[in-house]
Amino acid sequence: MRSKKTLFTVGFFVILSAVSFLIASEGSPPPASPHVAMTPELKEKYPIKAHHAKLSLRCTDCHEKQGDNPEDFKAIGDEGCLSCHKTKQYLADRLKFMDALHVNPHNSIHDGPKLYCDECHNEHKPSDNMCLSCHSNDVKIWMRKTP
Amino acid sequence: MSNKETMSRRDALKLGALSTAGLAMLSASNAMAAAPTEKDVKFDEEYDVIVIGTGFAGLAAAAKAAERGYKVLILEKMGRIGGNSVINGGGMAVPNSTWQKKYGIQDSGELFIKDCLKAGLGINHVELLETIVKRAQDALDFSIKCGAKWQDVKPAWFGGHSAPRSLVTDNMSGSGVIKPMHEFVEKLPGCKIMTRTKMDDFVMSADGTSVVGVTARINYRFDPKLFSDDIENKTGEKKVYKAKKGVVLASGGFSMDKMFRKLQDPRITPDQDATNHDGATAGALLKAFQIGAMPVHIDWIQQGPWASPDERGFGVAPLLTQQGLFKLGVAVDVRNGKRFMNEMADRKTRADAEYVILREDPKAYPVTIGTYNTFEEQVYPIMEKGLTGGVMKKFDTLDALAANYKIPADALKETIKKYNEDAKNGVEDQFKKQTLKEMKGKEAIEMKGPFYAIRLMPKPHHTMGGLQINTKAQVISGNTGKPIPGLFAAGEVTGGTHGASRLGTVAVTDCLTFGLIAGENI
Repeated sequence: MRSKKTLFTVGFFVILSAVSFLIASEGSPPPASPHVAMTPELKEKYPIKAHHAKLSLRCTDCHEKQGDNPEDFKAIGDEGCLSCHKTKQYLADRLKFMDALHVNPHNSIHDGPKLYCDECHNEHKPSDNMCLSCHSNDVKIWMRKTP
Repeated sequence: MSNKETMSRRDALKLGALSTAGLAMLSASNAMAAAPTEKDVKFDEEYDVIVIGTGFAGLAAAAKAAERGYKVLILEKMGRIGGNSVINGGGMAVPNSTWQKKYGIQDSGELFIKDCLKAGLGINHVELLETIVKRAQDALDFSIKCGAKWQDVKPAWFGGHSAPRSLVTDNMSGSGVIKPMHEFVEKLPGCKIMTRTKMDDFVMSADGTSVVGVTARINYRFDPKLFSDDIENKTGEKKVYKAKKGVVLASGGFSMDKMFRKLQDPRITPDQDATNHDGATAGALLKAFQIGAMPVHIDWIQQGPWASPDERGFGVAPLLTQQGLFKLGVAVDVRNGKRFMNEMADRKTRADAEYVILREDPKAYPVTIGTYNTFEEQVYPIMEKGLTGGVMKKFDTLDALAANYKIPADALKETIKKYNEDAKNGVEDQFKKQTLKEMKGKEAIEMKGPFYAIRLMPKPHHTMGGLQINTKAQVISGNTGKPIPGLFAAGEVTGGTHGASRLGTVAVTDCLTFGLIAGENI
């Protein structure tokens, strides 16, 4: 019983540190920014992805220097995404194992590591996998749902 | 002064007032419709050359113009570089190529033109084909200079060609040309590519005769959900760019333009899929018509009879039918189990035959059926893809197949029996199918099964028509019959080259050749 528990604890710790390593490897947390009071209405109108919610990201962590009124916020563009996610080449390299079958979405045979992030990834609405526009029946074999 | 006279004078005044207002309205609506002149705008930036579009034609024109030392701006409305070119199969037909000489293949320019005219039903503009014969090798060499890599193997023999003359890129995609050409262009000094930037209008000279620039919107987001993105989409911020030498229009075809393609061919319903990328719309083409460019062959839209409604875009069905089921198998009308076309006829004949059925019953997609012996070795890996993805289905018996597609089973079996007998006996079948000739003594469809099947639907693939150009890629005006100064065009936005129907792998040739020529002449 005890050894199982210890194993579990150790396992949990290992996973946790692996996760935090992965997160840390994509840049240090963004600096403090002006505060937007979070309301249930705002949360419903501008939902954020689970992986970002887990990090307790606030509106202005991404919408930097855009004031404090969510109605005025603009899309943050590649630059905004890459302020945490480093570079497109880095993201392509992380999925290098998919290159073998030519299905790396961040380094596709068509586009290389050059697409806009929001060609596929959206934050406040469901993402849309661009590969589907031609490979509708294959994508499910290649990868999971676009985060 | 009589009352009558007064009245008439008053009426005359009224009429005058009305017509003045009417004229004002008329001129206002004209101003809205007509292209602005340089007097109406303030230029934000100035370039030598502006290219619209980043496919084969646009990038070839931009690369050549930039290489000549010009400052070039390239506008692309989509977020992605390359349009249809980057999702294309990477095949380029080059008559009399160095490749053919290396691999000992006999070919001639006359033979190439003859092949194109046969597929094009004789309505091709031959002077444009002659230009391709003269310059295709130069276009190929230029692509190599820009970094494109072509497989060093014997050229492939594509349907409708009388000789093996098609080269294929090393990654078997048009991206094998687009990616290096994009990098080549980006490195040239003075060359700038702006994506998500949509050209709105040509800017004309003060006298309205020449193209001197364009208006555009930056931060434009194309929206595939709109019925007509060109008309309805209001995103982006307006900019005006001056082109001192001129504009090259390389905006592609309109196979995805729900409104314009249906106007030309009412069989194409708005929700119908095509093999093209979402942005293949007619907006820029219509702007060229607006300033007087001459239209050619606009309603000749080539549709792929080998496509399937069970997947999006080009998909895998075209390979599994052309290099498989169509060769020795049959295509049947699901309502009566009968064949309705020669499965190996040209693209247009087959698409028309499928449309006859689909117009009567839009859900009655014909089904093509065959056995393992019909597939060429190269498509074995794709068979797996087709089956896993669900585009192709496999059945142990014809009864199971008939039940799945709701085909009358007895009628289907009778059709296949007759078809097999004809093949076995070496008798010409009712549709004069050429590939059955070699089957003498054998079953074309092996009755032991298993049976493979794919549902069929024609998909718009290439719009033959477009702007009239001359052999220097200058756009011809319908007002003067002469080139519109400052306007060049290349690629699918132009018309005439392919006539009624284009042969496979000649699109890349057309785009790279006339793109290069536009870049040389501007």
